[in-house]
Amino acid sequence: MIIRTDVEHIARLACIELDDEDLQEFTIQLNTILEYFEELEDVEAKLLQQEEDNVLRTDEITPSLSQQEALSNAPRVDGGYFRGPRII
Amino acid sequence: MSQREHIEKALKTIERSDLNAFITVDYEGARRQAVEADAGKLDGRLAGVPIAIKDAISTKGLRTTCASKMLEHYVPPYDAFVIQRLRAEGAILIGKTNMDEFSMGASTETSFFGPCKNPWDINRVPGGSSGGSAASVAAYEADLALGSDTGGSIRCPASFCGVVGLKPTYGRVSRSGLISYGNSLEQIGPIARTVKECATLFEVIAGHDPADSTSLNLPVTSCEQSISDDITGLKIGVPLDFFGEGVDAAVENATRKAINILVDLGAEAVEISMPSLRYALPAYYIQAMSEASSNLARYCGIIYGHRVKKDQDWHQTFSKNRASGFGKEVKRRVLLGTYALSAGYYDKYYLKALKARTLIRADFKRAFQKHDALIAPTMPHVAFKIGEKIEDPLSLYKEDINTVPVNLANIPALSIPCGKKGKLPIGLQIIGDQLDEARLFNIAWQFEHNTKFNKYAE
Repeated sequence: MIIRTDVEHIARLACIELDDEDLQEFTIQLNTILEYFEELEDVEAKLLQQEEDNVLRTDEITPSLSQQEALSNAPRVDGGYFRGPRII
Repeated sequence: MSQREHIEKALKTIERSDLNAFITVDYEGARRQAVEADAGKLDGRLAGVPIAIKDAISTKGLRTTCASKMLEHYVPPYDAFVIQRLRAEGAILIGKTNMDEFSMGASTETSFFGPCKNPWDINRVPGGSSGGSAASVAAYEADLALGSDTGGSIRCPASFCGVVGLKPTYGRVSRSGLISYGNSLEQIGPIARTVKECATLFEVIAGHDPADSTSLNLPVTSCEQSISDDITGLKIGVPLDFFGEGVDAAVENATRKAINILVDLGAEAVEISMPSLRYALPAYYIQAMSEASSNLARYCGIIYGHRVKKDQDWHQTFSKNRASGFGKEVKRRVLLGTYALSAGYYDKYYLKALKARTLIRADFKRAFQKHDALIAPTMPHVAFKIGEKIEDPLSLYKEDINTVPVNLANIPALSIPCGKKGKLPIGLQIIGDQLDEARLFNIAWQFEHNTKFNKYAE
């Protein structure tokens, strides 16, 4: 069972601002879904050994996006840089 | 008919349609390519064929939104691997199809651009999340389509719209350029009106891509070569776990009738039990949501995507961008995934889900030691009404009960029409062992050619 302050905490971790209405709705819905997840409580199994090997490649320079392409979808750009919020 | 006329016909069908199957239609690009096709400049296995692309797949220069406000104005600077393959084979990309936001849903109702509708009944959902892809093919708005399937998102709409759809083996098709939701579960796959066309499109998009480290470096077996082979002696397993409560009697009857038809064609069918499947749905959702919470962390509104007008500090700016850019279902899944991975809950949720996945894979492995393929209903019932389930998230999750086991086991499965309830199509799910796509197409082709359920088949 999670309560409203738990949902507030999760939302802070997930970087999603929630208003009062959201908090109320999500607290109810998340509880219903988490209760359903309890069905896994009795699962006991040894995890499979990792089947996949690491995939490595040689460190060769290949063409990538140009600066213009990389910036083309940015909401705010300044002198060839992404512009983020102010820090101070 | 010239390619130009063929493309104009498809574009006109889209224009007149009230299905809302497309988010973006590339009129200009499609017409330009049709002219090239008529001039003999396009060649390849799909030369001049109009194809619809799920809006979760990156297309260079063509807006790709994932049906989210977050990516409303996003224009990818590169093509997904599968799009490069399609262009190389001469296909004409007609537009980007409607879907559940970030592929999260089974009804195509969570789209920022409004719900997509079912071509068989405008008041019903087309299934999801690749609803626009299946609906557009069923309604002749495109000849072929690409979807993506994380927990049933190709097979569910194929079933509800009465078309053929394949979820390939994990790693068979490159995910490079697919906007990630649950990356350990999802695959891009083909949707078509007939089994043969579906197989051709699969062969075009399958294969190794170094840009996706989970893509398999193994040759692609020809599916078309063996598509019409005799199926005498084929061993079919029928897992009763797929016929549990909630499966409509009409769906169960149609599935059993389909199995009898395959038996008449020379196959042997045995009922089996796969007890671990009862864990599949919660295990799938915990894992998919956990992966989503991580995959969607990139949407902070700085490098691309939705950004609020007024900046505050970093945390507040990110949180406001995400609050106003994501829809409700996306928020629910990101919150639940964040919770499942957070300190103190990892063992209870994520680790349990991984253990359940291990058991499910072992159950399928056992089944394929004795059987060549498994057969089950794709969906527990036919397409439901728009608005019927959207207010109750858990009831929508339960729609995926028969499709998610396949994703957890990394194996391929195909959905093909096998009957109707009233005017609404019912889908038959044919499940195969890893990399056994050719066999699935063979069984489906035999079924299609010896029945009249697929109204599109020759």
